[in-house]
Amino acid sequence: MNVQDYILSGIVESYVLGLSSPEESAEFERMCAAHSEVLAARNAFEIELEKGFQEQKLEPPRELKSRIFSEIGKEKSPITQSPLAKPSLIPRIGFARYVAAASLILLAGSVLLNFYLLSQYKKTIAKNEELIAAQTQVADNNKVLQTKMLRYENAISLMQNPLMAVVKMPGVPKSPAPSSLATVYWNTQSKDVYLLINKLPAPKPDKQYQLWAIVDGKPVDAGVFDMAEGISFVKLKTIPKAEAFAITLEKKGGSSKPDMEAMYVMGKVTG
Amino acid sequence: MGLTVTYSEQELTAALKAKDDQAFSYLYDHYSGSLYSIILQIVKSPEVANDILQEVFVSIWRKIESYDPIKGRLFTWMLNISRNASIDMLRSKNYQNNQKNQEITDNVYGINQVTQTNIDSIGLSKFLGKLRPEQRVLIELAYFKGYTHDEIAQLEGIPLGTVKTRIRSALLQLREFLK
Repeated sequence: MNVQDYILSGIVESYVLGLSSPEESAEFERMCAAHSEVLAARNAFEIELEKGFQEQKLEPPRELKSRIFSEIGKEKSPITQSPLAKPSLIPRIGFARYVAAASLILLAGSVLLNFYLLSQYKKTIAKNEELIAAQTQVADNNKVLQTKMLRYENAISLMQNPLMAVVKMPGVPKSPAPSSLATVYWNTQSKDVYLLINKLPAPKPDKQYQLWAIVDGKPVDAGVFDMAEGISFVKLKTIPKAEAFAITLEKKGGSSKPDMEAMYVMGKVTG
Repeated sequence: MGLTVTYSEQELTAALKAKDDQAFSYLYDHYSGSLYSIILQIVKSPEVANDILQEVFVSIWRKIESYDPIKGRLFTWMLNISRNASIDMLRSKNYQNNQKNQEITDNVYGINQVTQTNIDSIGLSKFLGKLRPEQRVLIELAYFKGYTHDEIAQLEGIPLGTVKTRIRSALLQLREFLK
């Protein structure tokens, strides 16, 4: 339906007169915000309606206005006079005194009861808030665990895949951290490269590790990666052909040529 | 400040939100007649209408903070408050009991007929008579009695879609009459 048909569908009148369903109203408000024609049509009908009613006015009784204003005056100063404010009104007759005394006692009792109930109510609210907070905490933890699980599941399914060639990359002799180890999982069919970091020191904030594929003796950039917590496979660039893989530490964002001094690990592709 | 202060819609809304007595008095003088007319068209009884008009203005005073000009004009907002308050009254037990008593007395004295015609000659009610009967019934149920489209579909035994299209086309016709 185009905007013009929408305007002429009767929705304008329905909405203004309060006859549209909540869904229709929500949609209409969206349309008003999106299309100035719809808004203009609504405004035009509202003005017509107001005029129509102004012409059909029926004057309410005169005294009504003052009644309403005194009602509103009460709203403004909500301090109602308590029955205790005018003690002189209690007649000096024995029976009435007893009644007054009894009602005072009842009033006092009811005030106490109210305080008691209020404090109970507040306690319940506080307890409820605690429970809600605890519940949110549990839900959050659950979410974290789920994400972790998903990651592990992905990792295991990668390792299980029979098409994966596994290239172990131990620390090279000149490596700044000779005990480092990382493993490339290279899908022999799709040529996708996944990297598993077994052990690598955390880089300085301005540095990033970069994986290189050695193709015909030359290093080809296979992408930079960040260290993640726990077991994690990082998917890097797709490499169609390689004899070996190596990791160097480069400036953040990676370099076009590897810094051979900063080579941490390297591993040859077998078979 | 003279007696002839007039407000633009924006000024009026701002003054009302600031709980300005003078603005509220202006609002009453300006709109009570229109709102009284819609209330009367719904509840039919002037006595009940007086009480509702009072309730409506008090709740306008209380709820003016929540009035959002983006959703419509001030009058539309007040008109809907008036209609809702009147329909709530129609549905209250108290009113329904009174109504039964009233009908009995009225039938005896034949008063009902008179008030009915007077009220039917005002506002939207005046134009209702020009609609086709099957449309008139739906507007009466939906607008003046506050039934939802679903309730009307069940009540009248017609599909919900038909209820919606008939009401919409009736509203479009009423609008033509209004001009």
